[in-house]
Amino acid sequence: MDVFGSFALLLAFVCAAYALVGGIAAILTRHPLLIKSARQAGMATCGLIFLATFCLEYLFFTDNFSIAYVASHSNRDLSSFYKIAALWSGMEGSLLFWSFLLAVYVLSVLITYRNKNGELMPYVGVVMAGVQLFFLTLSNFVESPFKALAAAGPDGVMSFVTRPDGNGLNALLQYPEMVIHPPNLYSGYTGFTIPFAFALGALLARYPGEKWIHLTRKWTMIAWMFQSCGILLGAHWAYAVLGWGGYWGWDPVENASLLPWLTGTAFLHSVMMQEKRGMMKVWNVWLVFTTFLLCIMGTFLTRSGVVSSVHAFAQSNIGPWFVAFMGITLAVCLGAYLKNSDYLKSENHLDSMISRESSFLFNNLLFLVACLAVLSGTLFPVFSEWFTGNRISVGAPYFNIVNIPIGLLILFLTGVGPLLAWRKTSKESLKRNFGWPLLIGVVVSAVAFALGFRAFFSVVCLILCVFVASTILLEFYRGAKVIRARSGASYPACAIDLTMRNTRRYGGYIIHMGMVFVFIGLAGAAFNRDVQKSMRVGDTMQIGTYTLMLQGADSKPEQNYTAQRMLVEALSDNKPVMMLFPEKRRFAGNNQENGTMVAIYSTWKEDLYVVFAGIDPETREPVIHAFLNPLVKWIWFGGVVVVFGTIVALLPNRRSVLVLAPAQQPAAAQPMPHPVTSSVALREGHD
Amino acid sequence: MTKASLRVAVAILLGFAALPLWLAPVGAQRVSDRAKQIGIKLRCMCGNCSMTAGECSHPGGEFSGPCQAWALPALQQIDGLLTQGKTEQQVMDAFVAQYGTTVYAEPPKSGFSLVAWVMPTAYLVVGALLVIFVISRWLKKNPSEVRAGSAPAKAVSPELLERARKLAAQETEE
Repeated sequence: MDVFGSFALLLAFVCAAYALVGGIAAILTRHPLLIKSARQAGMATCGLIFLATFCLEYLFFTDNFSIAYVASHSNRDLSSFYKIAALWSGMEGSLLFWSFLLAVYVLSVLITYRNKNGELMPYVGVVMAGVQLFFLTLSNFVESPFKALAAAGPDGVMSFVTRPDGNGLNALLQYPEMVIHPPNLYSGYTGFTIPFAFALGALLARYPGEKWIHLTRKWTMIAWMFQSCGILLGAHWAYAVLGWGGYWGWDPVENASLLPWLTGTAFLHSVMMQEKRGMMKVWNVWLVFTTFLLCIMGTFLTRSGVVSSVHAFAQSNIGPWFVAFMGITLAVCLGAYLKNSDYLKSENHLDSMISRESSFLFNNLLFLVACLAVLSGTLFPVFSEWFTGNRISVGAPYFNIVNIPIGLLILFLTGVGPLLAWRKTSKESLKRNFGWPLLIGVVVSAVAFALGFRAFFSVVCLILCVFVASTILLEFYRGAKVIRARSGASYPACAIDLTMRNTRRYGGYIIHMGMVFVFIGLAGAAFNRDVQKSMRVGDTMQIGTYTLMLQGADSKPEQNYTAQRMLVEALSDNKPVMMLFPEKRRFAGNNQENGTMVAIYSTWKEDLYVVFAGIDPETREPVIHAFLNPLVKWIWFGGVVVVFGTIVALLPNRRSVLVLAPAQQPAAAQPMPHPVTSSVALREGHD
Repeated sequence: MTKASLRVAVAILLGFAALPLWLAPVGAQRVSDRAKQIGIKLRCMCGNCSMTAGECSHPGGEFSGPCQAWALPALQQIDGLLTQGKTEQQVMDAFVAQYGTTVYAEPPKSGFSLVAWVMPTAYLVVGALLVIFVISRWLKKNPSEVRAGSAPAKAVSPELLERARKLAAQETEE
């Protein structure tokens, strides 16, 4: 099966090369047969990548320890569930998995548009084939996942060997979320290839203005949704497994996943300027290019060893390949832009400083500043080594100081931006849209101050969250009120009706609401507390309103590990709340790795987070480390709301209507099929 | 007691005796909160985790806490230096002298490291100036347009209504 997989991978490389070269020839000659054959080569590439991936999984499931990659990342006792995840747990497999997910996207695009956009698709196909070719080059010639295991015999001669058992999967990866976190994140990374291919293809083909944006909106949102999911799942995994009480450590690899998310989010906003007003075309094209390049850079950072990270794969010589690919990509993008930049001229200009357009500009500015701040902080150790010879580390404290104010400004704009009108916003409109939210924000700040909250950024964050949530709820209320006046249905039913009439706008609001929940959760971090204690059975420790009592310990053998569990009873006001079972795990396999399993009692107010740290060397007693982390549940809930909002935004509108408020001053001598106010007509929704 | 059951009993006893070996005897020594606070400014140099010494839980290690390899001795060293009456700066200097600038968890606000602190502000200032410049340039191109703060549009013009309809239709055509 390994030979079969290798061969499939090699054939995929050949097909991708043909799709690229044949595609270029097809564009130059416009020969229909060449166009068709290049497209079909693209489809064949995808099929062959699927086959190679299936072969590698088969080798995992059959415990074929004659293959180096399988021997390094699996063992006999590893459950089937984690044998799937073993595919992307190392360098070689993760590169193949990248190709696999990209192939899913590419095939979907090729099938969806097989009879559409005949002018544009050959260009898009060429760009996609180029990206596939790069990853297939790596998988075939640099980091092949099908390499046979070889070892030197007593005589020093290398020969193929088969191990009786493998090293096993990294203990930190043996957690259910690790089976879904990387696929989500990779789906985000690879998904941004599609808008990139359309943007570059449209630029090369000088394809009509906004068409590529209409075509790629769904793909961009899907990629963005996966990226968001991947980031949040990764944070949750870190929270539940690493046992340090936090969820985001500003590790270079975490940062690498955040960078394209930031630019992708900026793009999803600024793209509306192009759709509605024909503006920012150059900016949007470069935002897509940058997002794609950051996806590649994220993949590069994880694998090259340029920056040290707890997540990084083993160091290898793969770095120069990525640098070369990024260089070539940048050169092609730059060349295409210089050649066809005339075609990207704006159709309109700004009418007012206080308008939706300018809010988008500032929104983009903040996302870009956040992105650059994270990027320069992540790469600063490398720069400092180049310039001074000393490697200066940049850790979490720096990123927190730098990014918290930027994050709060973005949160502020999340509330303000959607309520500003396109073109210009009147004073009356400002008063109407922001009066109540501002008042509520001021009241909340007064209450927070009176209650003794003094952590500045957290309090500001909570106030802004209340302000933004108020603006969003007010928007739903106003729209629902108009529908209710006509239909008489209940407010929730009207709000759903409203959302389904303009899914993009109200889906966007739901996403914003999800982000508000995430920020509420982040604000809680300033109030975290922790206590650590060596405990005997019957001992108690106090944290917040909780009393923790060690009730006992046991050992639980499982298929691939043995868990040493502590039985900790949580009491609140002397009443039992929950029995918690924090664990230390010793995994099977050659490496005999250790893992932690945190026990969490989660409420909307706070998480009681209990870690069995190990055995105290002096007292020989188990050490329990308990954390009280306020509001963390809101982060995960916010993530779910963001995903839900994205799905809503992806749905088609129920019907095309312009609504929403009764006319204040109907246009003279103009028969109006629907009542439309000036502000509504101008505001036109979030999208 | 039969021979077999004796063997089982001995095996169980040995198993329990080996338990402390299985759970490595490291780490729960107490360090002061002050040491932890200073430790947050130092990077754990164990080479296996990228956490700060003050927050190190050494993922994957046998003890979920400051690792024996570096963070715990470092925190104890900080406590020792504090006991000797050293200031926070002197403690930091002692670690930099021993491990070089790599030990910083955040770059110091002096020398070349200052660049790291200045850059985000520079991005924001330069970016904001750029946005304001772009907006004002665009505004100048439309002198006839009414600026913000002036009276709102009195009514919907037919052109505007038509445009709004087109936009709505465009939005739902996909």
